[in-house]
Amino acid sequence: MNVLWLQRLSCCGNTHSLLNCETFNALLKEVNFLFHPSLSLESEEELLSDITKGNVKLDLLILEGAVKMDDQRIKELCYIAEYVIAVGSCAVYGNVPALKDGNVCGLQYRFKEKGGLLGEDFVSKGGLPVINLSGCPAHPEWIVGVIRSLSKGIKPALDSFGRPKEFYSSLTHWGCTRNEYFEWKIEPESLGSKKGCLFYNYGCRGPMTYSSCNTILWNGMNSKTRAGTPCFGCTEFDFPRVGLFETKQFAGLPAELPIGVSKRGYIMLSGVAKMFAPERLKSED
Amino acid sequence: MRIEKRLLSRVEGTAELELIWGNGYVQDVKIKIPSSRGIERVLEGRPFMDALVITPRVCGICGHAHLMACVKALEDAIGNVKLTQKAKLVRDITLTVEMIQNHIKWFYLFVMPDFIRLGEKIEDFEPFKGKKWKKAINASSQVVKIIAIFGGQWPHSSYAVPGGITSNFTTSDISRALSIAESVAEFFLEDVVGMDEEGFRSFRSAGLWEELKGDIGLFVNLCIKHKLEKVGSSYGRLLTGGEVFPCITPGHFTGEKKLCSLNLSKIKEVGSPSYSSVKVVRYNGLPYETGPLSRQFLSNNPFIKKLYKAYKDSYMTRVMARLLEIWELLDAIREKLYGLYALIKEPSYYHPYQKVEKVSGEGLGMVEAARGTLIHRVHISKGIITKYHIITPSVWNLGPRCEKYLGVAEKAIIGLEHPLHAEMVLRSFDVCSVCTTH
Repeated sequence: MNVLWLQRLSCCGNTHSLLNCETFNALLKEVNFLFHPSLSLESEEELLSDITKGNVKLDLLILEGAVKMDDQRIKELCYIAEYVIAVGSCAVYGNVPALKDGNVCGLQYRFKEKGGLLGEDFVSKGGLPVINLSGCPAHPEWIVGVIRSLSKGIKPALDSFGRPKEFYSSLTHWGCTRNEYFEWKIEPESLGSKKGCLFYNYGCRGPMTYSSCNTILWNGMNSKTRAGTPCFGCTEFDFPRVGLFETKQFAGLPAELPIGVSKRGYIMLSGVAKMFAPERLKSED
Repeated sequence: MRIEKRLLSRVEGTAELELIWGNGYVQDVKIKIPSSRGIERVLEGRPFMDALVITPRVCGICGHAHLMACVKALEDAIGNVKLTQKAKLVRDITLTVEMIQNHIKWFYLFVMPDFIRLGEKIEDFEPFKGKKWKKAINASSQVVKIIAIFGGQWPHSSYAVPGGITSNFTTSDISRALSIAESVAEFFLEDVVGMDEEGFRSFRSAGLWEELKGDIGLFVNLCIKHKLEKVGSSYGRLLTGGEVFPCITPGHFTGEKKLCSLNLSKIKEVGSPSYSSVKVVRYNGLPYETGPLSRQFLSNNPFIKKLYKAYKDSYMTRVMARLLEIWELLDAIREKLYGLYALIKEPSYYHPYQKVEKVSGEGLGMVEAARGTLIHRVHISKGIITKYHIITPSVWNLGPRCEKYLGVAEKAIIGLEHPLHAEMVLRSFDVCSVCTTH
């Protein structure tokens, strides 16, 4: 499978995320990288003209970074490629570069609005819309996993944001080592603690964000929430929200509740949880 | 006169070189870096803690340095922030780890493949295929695990916060980090310099760079073969603003005098010419180079002292400084990791202010990033950012000319006779266009 990776308005964070993948070298035995701007020796222009002339087959186009709304080059290549992946939240939603520039967007979205560079109805030759790997950056296992599936002819099932369900159907707080504190509604005394759930006071988006960060871990080691940093919801369209370390409160409750939880249910459960929380969870050490 | 435009890949982001040729050599050069992402403007009007999440997004390869400059700027603005020794040490460790990751990738992925383009048959360094290329990716992905242990993930961690760090850890975490540091040290000895630790240390103390084997030995031979050991010098004015305890301290070299101090009020930005969207930054009105060459020269690395004496701030010296810095940083990391054992009971964090709405002030954060001195400045009013300003190392090195002086990299390229050499000299500064156009 011929893979082309291109960059637009980007910090290159997804490239470095990918290079962290311990199995990246194994992937290179299976797929052929035609070009990657940070890695290749060849000239980008020559290769792109060969692709548009039809001399080189393009099986998979991966775009990193937000695009300008008039980027004809990328548009043209998306229609030539069998499959298109938007890697990272900039390529998916526009993200940071689109915040102050109305002319910048993602491939098929601008934040939550459908459309983007390619329009709502875009489907690549292979029959899929843009495969969106959101995240700032996307986890390397998501990138490698989807590339490998496509190379084996397996089309990933996508959610309503065009993201592979396999990686974006469970919440970030699945697998978080602080889950027990979440259940019993125990906050940390302050930052810098191994204990306590960051949802109540520190803005953690874990229960409102779809990703597999806490089940597959970052760098094979850890995750933000395990390391005491709140989840900032970077796989969702509204990243980066204003007030990233704050939980907005409304009438003594978090203004936003975990996905699928009703206000009534939350009030009842948290009352019980607080009352019966085990002592071992309450003290530091 | 002939104008040649070359688009550079194998850098962080993209850069365009406009070479003006005459009489067989580069008469003038302009370095152009496209499109900005407007990150400073995104920060205005937000609660100051948001900067800890957004500033790392300036750069995928040195985002952690942005986090560290940001947290220092915020602490400076808050005022009287108490930090435990533990939090300080861990921050220092993770910042240093990011530099090592950068230096490994840069040499094996960006620098060595240039020699393939010069016609050298070094298949081991071929992108996507070469044995050394793959091994380097493996080593760099190993070392950043240390950041993940303390900071949750790399890239784009936000674990350093005003008052300390968000994580707490156990001795087994320190032990895991030490094992990783050890394995990367092995990579350095076996692959980069091709000798055992004892041998390397003895050559180091005498500065005998000619004795180095391994990939650095190969690099030296290739430089000499292609006459790259003397070319690519710039002004020979070097500057380091940040500190990496104990091996790097602030200072500057005027070209004649080495001074162990830096006067922040002498750092000024001036207007940039029309061809560039990048700002011009000067120290005392003069262009200065920042980065590993400055750091290693100012901190008296014996190898770099000798190399500088023989070849000044040439292409070869600049590359060697960055590569040999890996060892200095690794040594510092190991020492600090051992130091953490005694501090394990200290808190990771002290809450540094009463009410967030009452935080107002101006702050400056200066750290050493992989490419050199990185400065963040913040203005906070009642907990909200009113102004944010970043000077990246690439602005020092790749920034354009002012009325009086060429940019540092521009000066280094003028006089070269081969277009590939021009690209290589530019890469020797470790181009980061994403940082330059935040």
